[in-house]
Amino acid sequence: MTRLTCRDVIDLLADYLEATVSPETLAAFERHLEGCPACVAYLNTYRKTRELTATVARVSMPQDMQARLRAFLIEQLRGG
Amino acid sequence: MEEAASEAQLIARLRGGDTDALETLMARYSSRVYRLAHGITRNDADAEEVVQDVFLSLFRKIDTFEERSALGTWIYRVTANAALIKRRGKRVQLEVFLEDQLPTFREDGHREGDRDFLLADWSTRPDEELVGIETRRVLTRALDQLPDGYRTVVLLRDLEGLSNEETAEALGESVASVKSRLHRARMALREQLTRALVRASGPG
Repeated sequence: MTRLTCRDVIDLLADYLEATVSPETLAAFERHLEGCPACVAYLNTYRKTRELTATVARVSMPQDMQARLRAFLIEQLRGG
Repeated sequence: MEEAASEAQLIARLRGGDTDALETLMARYSSRVYRLAHGITRNDADAEEVVQDVFLSLFRKIDTFEERSALGTWIYRVTANAALIKRRGKRVQLEVFLEDQLPTFREDGHREGDRDFLLADWSTRPDEELVGIETRRVLTRALDQLPDGYRTVVLLRDLEGLSNEETAEALGESVASVKSRLHRARMALREQLTRALVRASGPG
């Protein structure tokens, strides 16, 4: 039975969230989490970080910029 | 209907020099192009110039587009290139050592550090707090501090929702490099958030 350390578990986090770890590794990963609240906290906050990053970085293009873009392209394309 | 125009038709019309097709392309992609450009350059004025350059080159260089890749991925590629060039030479000396933001381990592979800090799980705090002004500020600054190549990967994967393979294609890098940068960048962002949230109000 494979035993994973905290280091192994943290190395695997991205693959775990992608669901690309093998069944055997997944079992070892979950066994480690059962006995390690620090890794559980790390996993939860890592996952939440991903979500918050998407929220914070989701900026919208200002309306007037959209209009300027259109005007710019028309001018450039007319000019050849 | 314009919206229903398939990608192949759209490309054909662009190749024919149809400026209406450019309008369709803008309607479909300009918010994504802006978001990525802004995420990489970190300011409005540079993002605006990048968006203009990108659409102009999309129209002028559509002949160089190879149809084995998806149009969306190609657009991300053109955008990331333009934004990274714009950013070059301008970057503020903010970049902190990533190594300081990564977890450290004892010889036996256990995490090292203050117990309260290691056990702090702020993920269950209410959303009002987590997307509040202070958290936004911390996370924005943490994103500013990431090396450009790392931030770009995070934006393509976690904001734009590209796969590791698509991100690798858009950046002309290996999948292994994308995966490694993504993981390190997420850990650095997580660390900054944890330091700010746990310092502000104690663990948990």
